[in-house]
Amino acid sequence: MLKRRLIPVLNIMNGLIVRSEDFQVHQNIGNVINQAQRYNEWEVDELIYLDISRGENYDLNRDDHKVQSYSSIEEIIKRISKVCFMPLAFGGGIKCMEDVDIRIKNGADKVIINTAVFLNPCFITEVSQKYGKQAIIVSVDYKYIDNRNVVFIKNGSENTNVDVINWCQKAESLGAGEIFLNSIDRDGIGEGYDIKFINQVVTSLSIPTIACGGAGDFWDFVDLAAESEVSAIAAGNIFHFTERSYPRAKQLLKKENANVR
Amino acid sequence: MLDKIYSEKPLPKMRYCLKCVYPAATATPLAFDDNGVCSGCNVSISTGSIDWAARKEKFIKLVNRYKSKDESNYDCIIPVSGGKDSYFQIHIIKELGLNPLLVTYHGNNYTDTGMKNLLNMREVFDVDHIFFTPSIKVLKTMNRMGMKMMGDMNWHGHAGIFTYPIQVAVKEKVPLMIWGEHGFMDLGGMHSYNDFVEFTYRYRHEHCLRGYEWHDFIEQAPKYNEKLTKRDLLPWIYPSDEEIDEVGVRGIYISNYFKWDANEHGKLMIEKYGFLESEVPFERTYRTMSNLDDMHENGIHDYMKYIKFGYGRASDHVCKDIRSGKMSREEGINIVKKMDHIKSRDLQRWLKYVGWSEEEFDSVADSFRDSRVWWQDDLGWHKHNIWD
Repeated sequence: MLKRRLIPVLNIMNGLIVRSEDFQVHQNIGNVINQAQRYNEWEVDELIYLDISRGENYDLNRDDHKVQSYSSIEEIIKRISKVCFMPLAFGGGIKCMEDVDIRIKNGADKVIINTAVFLNPCFITEVSQKYGKQAIIVSVDYKYIDNRNVVFIKNGSENTNVDVINWCQKAESLGAGEIFLNSIDRDGIGEGYDIKFINQVVTSLSIPTIACGGAGDFWDFVDLAAESEVSAIAAGNIFHFTERSYPRAKQLLKKENANVR
Repeated sequence: MLDKIYSEKPLPKMRYCLKCVYPAATATPLAFDDNGVCSGCNVSISTGSIDWAARKEKFIKLVNRYKSKDESNYDCIIPVSGGKDSYFQIHIIKELGLNPLLVTYHGNNYTDTGMKNLLNMREVFDVDHIFFTPSIKVLKTMNRMGMKMMGDMNWHGHAGIFTYPIQVAVKEKVPLMIWGEHGFMDLGGMHSYNDFVEFTYRYRHEHCLRGYEWHDFIEQAPKYNEKLTKRDLLPWIYPSDEEIDEVGVRGIYISNYFKWDANEHGKLMIEKYGFLESEVPFERTYRTMSNLDDMHENGIHDYMKYIKFGYGRASDHVCKDIRSGKMSREEGINIVKKMDHIKSRDLQRWLKYVGWSEEEFDSVADSFRDSRVWWQDDLGWHKHNIWD
């Protein structure tokens, strides 16, 4: 088996990195550039940025910091790719091929798309043909409702009533390179990953799955690695909380023989 | 600094939190929920449902793991300014039977009362205390440059407080640092209590230091006709990741484990340890127990926050007191109206200290007015107010 990746996820809301809980509560953590620089120093395997902005207004909200404010996602991507040298995946707000082009042109290696490909599944094939399979990650937010896991779109606000595994398999057949699987129920509460279901998804697909949602401490990474065949472990909030969080988490995973990079 | 363009016409109305008095443009990152309530208020409300007894147990377990086995070293480091929060931190640590080393960065701005409180600590708590002062000449340069680079003469102080104690932790090989409250979490709700957030370089670098480091001062010194070399700036050089990892330094916040109530703590420290309140009231806040370690912190340093963002320390304190139920929003607004804009008298000391005229100060200050907050016409500067 290939070595597993550990991937920090940064949620960008209107220009600031936010801590997210339940897809609804957001707290401002700081600017995008400083965080990217720190992750670069930590040599993370890969970085995922999810733009969860409401509206198209991007602003640092002040001018007395060394990092100057920015006003578009384009500018943000450009400035991140200047300080970051690991693979970058950008998601959020992608509605058409032009949005994909802007992200790739400015430094993203992959794009992550959720609502737009759900509403127009052929979009997966188009991106896949234009930029290659490795460049398209389909993001799937889900909730457990009435004894099954269903897909949600539009920042987790709309229930599609579509079964998660069915949708993931369809995305794969249309040319998705990877699935980014995120449990809304577990967002920001730190009570561990949805391991059993993650396993079901992983075993029903031949493309890699990136699992997200629920990391409360680094042992949750260890558990997920030990109990599933997932290709990549992703987490958002937890990397903001302690000093040298990423290298220390990696150290623990290595010590526990988790087959990480 | 980029050249700013100011509107000549009134800006769209500023948004204010409906529970406290914070505006949407703040020095501490703040988010609003769909009901118009800020993250600071929401995080503060969450403290009511926390099992603080369980957290205390968690804290005891954690600190005991760091106890020096053969008493050959200190158990932890407490960075202290000598304020009521410092007293509270030492009080907790001493009650648990630990042997802390106190470390103070002295930025040469102590009030008389603040200094008495600081010197008193080693006696009333029976502890060792390192007391560090940088060169006054360098401090004056840093005051002037900080003001010009980012509208903050006290950058040296923030950077000193968040660097020097960590240097000591690395040198003395004491891995555990005990901080008081997480400032931005307490004011703006940056984190949730379930995060058990710890001290990080990134928080220090971006939020406490605005993204500037010591080398920025060296690079920019010629531009401002100042002279600084690396040897002048040793107290502000943060240890490397490798040095920190070698000792395993981590900084925890006591506010994650003990319910933080500045007013209550202050009272307790007065009763138990003879902590002194300021004899002279401050001009820019009604509290007399805060920021005694730096006469400009509540003064012109904070006046700069008003110049930039349109609110000041009175607003900060009012928000805290509204959240803890000590004050109504209306009472708070009245205080804000009276105090937030005051240009305090400590400015005169600072001007004399660094050799500036008031005109020079004002013109530098004005260049930092935030164009999201202020507009300018023939009559001068204007902004929206919460009482409008």
